[in-house]
Amino acid sequence: MDKEESPSLLGRLGRNRRLRTEVSAQRDRLYRLAWSWCHDQYLADDLVQETLTKALSRLDSLREESRLGVWLTRIMANLYRDQFRRKREETGQEIEPISEETPEDATERSLLVVHTRAAISALKDDHRQIITLVDLSGFSYADTAQILDVPVGTVMSRLSRARKRLREELEKAYVTSSSVVVPLRKPS
Amino acid sequence: MSRNDDIDINAYVDGELTPDERLEVLAALRENPDLAREACELHNLKSQLHLAYANPPGPGRKPGRRKPSALIGIAASLLALAIGVTGGWFAGSNDIRPDRLVLLDPQGRGQAPATAESDATRIVFHLTTSDQVAAGELLDDIEAMLDAYHENGNALRVEVVSNGDGLDFLRERLSRHKVRIKQLAEDYGNLTFVACKNTIDRVEVEDGIEINVLPEAEVIDSGVNHVVRRQKEGWAYIRV
Repeated sequence: MDKEESPSLLGRLGRNRRLRTEVSAQRDRLYRLAWSWCHDQYLADDLVQETLTKALSRLDSLREESRLGVWLTRIMANLYRDQFRRKREETGQEIEPISEETPEDATERSLLVVHTRAAISALKDDHRQIITLVDLSGFSYADTAQILDVPVGTVMSRLSRARKRLREELEKAYVTSSSVVVPLRKPS
Repeated sequence: MSRNDDIDINAYVDGELTPDERLEVLAALRENPDLAREACELHNLKSQLHLAYANPPGPGRKPGRRKPSALIGIAASLLALAIGVTGGWFAGSNDIRPDRLVLLDPQGRGQAPATAESDATRIVFHLTTSDQVAAGELLDDIEAMLDAYHENGNALRVEVVSNGDGLDFLRERLSRHKVRIKQLAEDYGNLTFVACKNTIDRVEVEDGIEINVLPEAEVIDSGVNHVVRRQKEGWAYIRV
């Protein structure tokens, strides 16, 4: 090993080793987000695996280590857009209609959880993605803009529309639900 | 409510406004009950979403269509890693006394790459953490790696050496991966689990208990000496 090169090479290996640990530590967070996008545990797992594999193969391209979460999520959003969503569109397979859960399933979790997931699954991809990025993962508007590769203004307007649609879906779910559930908000 | 109001109130709830803008919105909320209710409902919506996705169903893997995992992605760079082994060893260890490493050249000179003596890629994973989630992920990675090498017809030898806190992974009473380890050991003759006798002796004395390791584990005198020996033999070393 060349003496002069060794510090930078070792430094780089050390950095990559550290980053690999940090990348793995994000697995749960990525999975939760991926699952909220597709509501399919196999697809979500594949998506996370591919994201991690891709990320680990290009650790050198990560400029700011503090932005690791945004960087990983951006990779995942791109994979989702380029591969997973396209695959689903080609096969015509829609996101699993969660509202078809059996009553037994529903009693295990609260109806609130079931209704919310059903309402999210009824949204279009763009809307579902922006809501989960901001509300579930807690990304700022600026980070979300970077992840989705759109201007911040688009994030703001899309988010506002998406939440409006989500609330409409939620109201629909509560109205159609035969169970006795106190609606979160009174119909205006 | 205008579209801009709508966007402002969303930004307010998301904490995206400057202090001045916040004051402005707060004043508007005081004067307009509808707007205040809107803000409140958006808050609720956010917490409702957190609740709904707090516990998604666990990751699913369809049999037979496992994707190579993260570690496979770097399998190709293992040889490069092996060359940097010595530096990483010193940088990464805090529980290994330096006087036990006199055999190694700190500059890594003379370290043969893993394939120098045989065609098989040989990797020793050194498990020193009690984090069994990490150990489980290691098993995922190893299995995928063994599969991938097998499919491509390449020879691979893998050893997992547990010592220190990492011994939990191979202890009868503490291992959370007993079934998995048994299965893997049966399926793959080229995978070996190794437990460190020094650690066993130390814990037995310290805790005053008898320690049983899994039947699949080979017990060797010293885990540290073993990984040092493996490195000298040209194995790639990865600390977990």
